[in-house]
Amino acid sequence: MDYSVNINVFQGPFELLYHLIEKKEIDIYDIPISEITDQYLEYLEEMMQFNMNVASEFIYMAATLIEIKSQMLLPQKEKAEDPRQELVAQLLEYKLFKDISEELKKYEEESSFYISKPREEMALTSDSRTEQLFLNEVTAYELYNIYLSLIKKQNFKIDTEEKFKVYRESYRVKDCMEELMKKIKKFGKISLFDTFKEKQRISKEYVITLFLAVLELTNNRGMKIYQDRQYGDIIICRQEKK
Amino acid sequence: MNLKSVLESLMFAWGEPLSINEMSKILEIPAKSLIPVLDGMIEEFRDNKDRGLLIQKFGNSYQLTTKKENYEYIQSLLESTVNKSLSTAAMETLSIIAYKQPVTKVEIERIRGVKCSQVIKGLLDKGLIKEAGRLDKPGRPVIYSTTDEFLRHFGLSSINDLPSLENDKDIKEAEMASSL
Repeated sequence: MDYSVNINVFQGPFELLYHLIEKKEIDIYDIPISEITDQYLEYLEEMMQFNMNVASEFIYMAATLIEIKSQMLLPQKEKAEDPRQELVAQLLEYKLFKDISEELKKYEEESSFYISKPREEMALTSDSRTEQLFLNEVTAYELYNIYLSLIKKQNFKIDTEEKFKVYRESYRVKDCMEELMKKIKKFGKISLFDTFKEKQRISKEYVITLFLAVLELTNNRGMKIYQDRQYGDIIICRQEKK
Repeated sequence: MNLKSVLESLMFAWGEPLSINEMSKILEIPAKSLIPVLDGMIEEFRDNKDRGLLIQKFGNSYQLTTKKENYEYIQSLLESTVNKSLSTAAMETLSIIAYKQPVTKVEIERIRGVKCSQVIKGLLDKGLIKEAGRLDKPGRPVIYSTTDEFLRHFGLSSINDLPSLENDKDIKEAEMASSL
């Protein structure tokens, strides 16, 4: 026979404890600690039976309850503090905010009857008509115009004095690949570091181009690259055919 | 320029709560002089039974919304409204922040008795709370306070409109008791 047990899921130990107290209509200032502790532990047991994750906070509260229970059993000195005092204070404070949150819930519900619009992506173009442009519909010329109007609107001052020189590339990936292939044919395998050293002066551009060439080789020409250790030399050789 | 007309158009175009500072900047009119105008408009909108819109004030922001009595008609027009209500954990955490702000995470966790990092992150993401600086104490913990979006979510004009506690001393008493 199947039967299901409905377990409330509690947010935290205070909520569980408060639930137990409320269910029994117990005076919060005079909690029968032994009874409540038993029920609290029973609930934890149930949680574990259902393979629920019992958060450490719940265990901590269990320990606190047992500690209070044991203190209550000891003979009390006169005028001694009630061991339950701190727990009661915490419970009262928790209850205060729980009540507030239930009150606020009503406000939340009430405010949901007022519909408002989310902000839409609205942008006004110079002719004050909103137009949605998709990037693949925009020509370079249009993009240039949009750029100009943005710059104008934002009052940016762009320094046009600076000029950029575009140099012709001194090394080409294709050439480097040829060069590497020739060497591999001759020597079987080559070291990337040694290849660098063959040049009298090594420019950054050469290093990058050669490196790209190596990557291209492994990609297209069935070459294998390997490295014995991190940051070590890179060896390029022919991929053995199986 | 018809000031009220412009303000109404601005609020319509913006949609979301529009801050009085923003309006002041656009119109080049000091915020102080705008407030009575906007407050007057709130009444006019509310009292005109033939119109379906309201102006609502959330902190320093104003927003156009529909009237509550028309909700059921709007509801049948919209396919299904997204449930925007917050979880119990989020509500408890927000309540603590609202009434004790600015407040640290440790304090919130002490009251709720559970870890609150995830909940706080969720509330930050939703823009309901914000980091309001750091406490000048060891570890310099972050302190949190509520935002105008918080006011909007609960339909409050200002933080003073929060439901007053039956006994305002409640918080103080609870604090005193727990610090013993």
